[in-house]
Amino acid sequence: MAGGSQPHDVAVGSPAPKQMGRATVDTLKTGCIAMVEKDGKPRRAEILSVRDVKSGRQFYCNFDNFNKRLDEWVPVARIDFSQDVEWPSPEKPKETKKASAPVAKKTVTQKKGQKRPARTREASIASEGSTPHPWTEFVESQKATPDPEEEKLTLAMDLDASPGADDDDAMDVDDVVIDAVSTKAEPPEQFSREEEIEKLRVGGSMTQNQAEISRIRNISKVQFGKYDLFPWYFSPYPEVFTQEDLMYICEFCLSYYGDLKSFTRHRQKCTLQHPPGNEIYRDDYVSFFEIDGRRQRTWCRNLCLLSKMFLDHKTLYYDVDPFLFYVMTSRDEKGFHLVGYFSKEKESADGYNVACILTLPQFQRKGYGRLLIQFSYELSKIECKLGSPEKPLSDLGLLSYRQYWTENLVEILLKLNADEAGKDRTSIDMLSQELSMTTLDVEQTLQALQMQVYHKGEHKIVIPTYLIKKHEALVEKQKTKPKRTIDPAKIQWKPPVFTASTRTWGW
Amino acid sequence: MSRQVRVRKLNKSTSQQVYREDEIDSAEYKTLLNQLHVSVDSGVEKSEEKEYHLQAALAANSAADKDAPKEIPAPPAEQTAAIDYDAVYTLVFEKPATYIRFSQTVEETRGCQYDMTTEDDAFLKAYNQKRPTGSKCSEDDFEKIMEVYEETADVQAPFASVDGTVIPYDVMRSALRQQVDEKIQDFAKDIYDHWRTSRQKSGNHPLQPTLKFEKNQEKDDGDPYVCFRRRDIRQTRKTRQRDMQSTDKLKRLRKELEDGRLLIAMALQRELTKREVLKVDRNIFEQRAKVKEAKVRLGIKTDDEDLINQREQPQKRKMPDSVMLQRPPGAQLRIPGRSDGRPLDADLILLQDLLEQKENMLQSEIEEKAAQHRKWNQGHVDLTREPLSPIDGQGVEMGFRPATAQYQYLMTPPSSVTSESFDQASPTQEKPEPFAFRYSSPPEEDRSQGQPAYRRRIGRNGRLWIDRRGMSSVAKSPEESGSDRWKYDQDDDDEQPVYELDPYDTKALRFRATIPFPPHLHPQRNAQVARLPGGSPVNNRTIAGPQQLRPPT
Repeated sequence: MAGGSQPHDVAVGSPAPKQMGRATVDTLKTGCIAMVEKDGKPRRAEILSVRDVKSGRQFYCNFDNFNKRLDEWVPVARIDFSQDVEWPSPEKPKETKKASAPVAKKTVTQKKGQKRPARTREASIASEGSTPHPWTEFVESQKATPDPEEEKLTLAMDLDASPGADDDDAMDVDDVVIDAVSTKAEPPEQFSREEEIEKLRVGGSMTQNQAEISRIRNISKVQFGKYDLFPWYFSPYPEVFTQEDLMYICEFCLSYYGDLKSFTRHRQKCTLQHPPGNEIYRDDYVSFFEIDGRRQRTWCRNLCLLSKMFLDHKTLYYDVDPFLFYVMTSRDEKGFHLVGYFSKEKESADGYNVACILTLPQFQRKGYGRLLIQFSYELSKIECKLGSPEKPLSDLGLLSYRQYWTENLVEILLKLNADEAGKDRTSIDMLSQELSMTTLDVEQTLQALQMQVYHKGEHKIVIPTYLIKKHEALVEKQKTKPKRTIDPAKIQWKPPVFTASTRTWGW
Repeated sequence: MSRQVRVRKLNKSTSQQVYREDEIDSAEYKTLLNQLHVSVDSGVEKSEEKEYHLQAALAANSAADKDAPKEIPAPPAEQTAAIDYDAVYTLVFEKPATYIRFSQTVEETRGCQYDMTTEDDAFLKAYNQKRPTGSKCSEDDFEKIMEVYEETADVQAPFASVDGTVIPYDVMRSALRQQVDEKIQDFAKDIYDHWRTSRQKSGNHPLQPTLKFEKNQEKDDGDPYVCFRRRDIRQTRKTRQRDMQSTDKLKRLRKELEDGRLLIAMALQRELTKREVLKVDRNIFEQRAKVKEAKVRLGIKTDDEDLINQREQPQKRKMPDSVMLQRPPGAQLRIPGRSDGRPLDADLILLQDLLEQKENMLQSEIEEKAAQHRKWNQGHVDLTREPLSPIDGQGVEMGFRPATAQYQYLMTPPSSVTSESFDQASPTQEKPEPFAFRYSSPPEEDRSQGQPAYRRRIGRNGRLWIDRRGMSSVAKSPEESGSDRWKYDQDDDDEQPVYELDPYDTKALRFRATIPFPPHLHPQRNAQVARLPGGSPVNNRTIAGPQQLRPPT
């Protein structure tokens, strides 16, 4: 993104014009937006923190339109001081003080550039305080004077007619308006936060916007089993671990250690070799364990802390009691190794069958996520319920679910299409029953894939050729290398029943 | 081209046709797609939805674009270099054949809760160097002691980090005595000093890093390190009904307790009585032994009746007892479902009831058998020479009609009554009497001597029979007068004594007239009576025998 931000463009429509100007290594401070090199290309980035290490000063940067997991500590050399830097507006912190004041001492959350009060969604409003891409005007400015790369990206999106593209434009326009009345946006924000806390207090949600959670990754590296993991997000492990270069986590009981001696001592004593619950599924590839958050509180807390490092929207605000954890493991001669898991409310008021779902990074892109998702739907099938994952989804979550939904829908629809009798005999309800998916998920997947059309007064489903080809390729591939699936016959599970008293006293 | 089409709302249950893209006109499809511009709620936060990598990946998936990056970049995991995996994870796992069931917690499987740190290690090594060989402190022992210190400190001074309390060694010592082996207590004092300095170095916090839990709600709310807060308990609403329910429950519990107590008291009483009985029995036995001895000594020879128990009477009384004993003893202690508060003995089985029940059962069985028998005999015509009449007519007192006052003394039934109505049981029929077995005993004459009654039945060859009963006065008197009929009979003699008598004497004629029909003049009937001595509990006699014979109507 060579073409930086033009001061004039940025100022357009903004009630509080950004101060632009050159900065030096010493004056560059938290809240500034500067051009920083990322993957060999300059990209706008907000400075979230500054630290001095032996090799010199480092800046913690959040890159524009990149997920937070790509945030990183950047040495001075990668920052382009030849360009103007956007200084944080002095008024802004005042406006957002309520939301971020308590975190002030963490030096991070308090002074991000202005966020966009996207009032279209409650959750967004609440998360306003820490929306990772605060520079909404920037998008505007990019469009006004597109730099080569940004233009290419925008172009690509338009070409694909990607569903969100038009909306985003509209949103940005609105944002400007909202910014103008940002003071009025305050009260609802405050309200919605209290509301959310209240919801968490009595409900069983496991996701929360990251408003109150530190935006800076606090653990740099984790030793886990045979792997070293690089955390993506903040996780509330004991604060002392922030100082450690490497944190050790026991692969089986998930206990955490900053000290190697402690960790090796623990390993000499720890006898756990599989998740501490009942095995409810086993095939030659994976096993699933069901673990009650109430009974295995320590283990489930440890699991949550671990997964929080890779799940942005997960909240650890409240305890794990109202959840069941379904843990997927792979076996070898050392035991059952944690691969991924999903948590599930014991009783979901919103009909969610998954609260949080994660495949550990070392096992990602190997098809485990699909197994997890399939397993969650198999459980719903046994319960005779339709299920859906709790929102918001992460980017990876959306992709995984989209893929699972698409593949299964296309498979069913092609079968229906091939069968003369069934050709015109399907409905959203039928598809939803078939896959234990909520009708909303079916509907939205069909729409996102542009399969739902309205023709001559009738709704019809059209399977696009590229999806058919993809499906055929998949079938072809499976002939040589069969796809791993969950075999429902191997599930030994009855939906657990929790009495009223367990629920009353349980959480 | 962009004609606005009004799209009908898509119902979830609407039947839809499924097409492949190549089955429809592609130009038309394009326009249709253009018309349809629905925004899809992806479920991702709006602010993240437009992230570069996500959009690129979505675009790659929703088009056949092979070049587009399909994956979202993420910091990768690496094979570890920090530890030797096999050295750290030493245990080898045997896969069980069945699915694992496991309920131990992390705390139960991790052994000693204290894991020594590098500093501890350094201290221990230095410490052990000073100690003579043979009395060195092992790492396990060190951890055990440290665990006790940390636990005790946590229990006794939970706010140590705030108020700076340091638990003195004396307190620790007593805790150690309870929890740790005698032999490792030698190290206690030295390790205590190490523990105290370590604690002070860390600001009197627990030595092992712990999570931050909620302490002060106001302050904690914004602290991202505070996690796993307790959720508020859902209050159950207090209502009058709920109060009533618990009161009732308490009352019922109390009642059950009282009942249980009473039951046990009674059981105790019973056992005491039993003991008394045993004592008495033993006394009797001993006395009898003495009696026997005395008898033998004195040579008394009686029937020895007094030496054995008379079994007859006790046998019967024993019965309820044995019934009681058959009930499982456990069932008496707990009375489930005894919520209605009825007295205990409502459940007891009384001998009276039991006997009655038995009687009823027997009776019903007999009736059933009789009914069955009658059924077999229905429509049966016995053509043998001297047939047995079916048991006591056709049923229990069947067909007898009470003679009402107006024709009580009539010798023949009123002719106006048709045979059909006759055969039906009359509504005024007396209550059927229970069957009684009669063996060789003579029929009880005056059993049914209440109201005179009669019945008509059709015998063989359509002979009509009129049976009567309760006709005491007329019929009985001659019998009484002839009761001494055989007075002068002599069975021993073959010859009958002959009494000289003028058969045409008026006195003799009158006498003969009073004689009803002697049995020998009535051979058939006689035979019946002789063969069926117990056949009839009722007084069943023919009135006029052959004279009554009439052709059936």
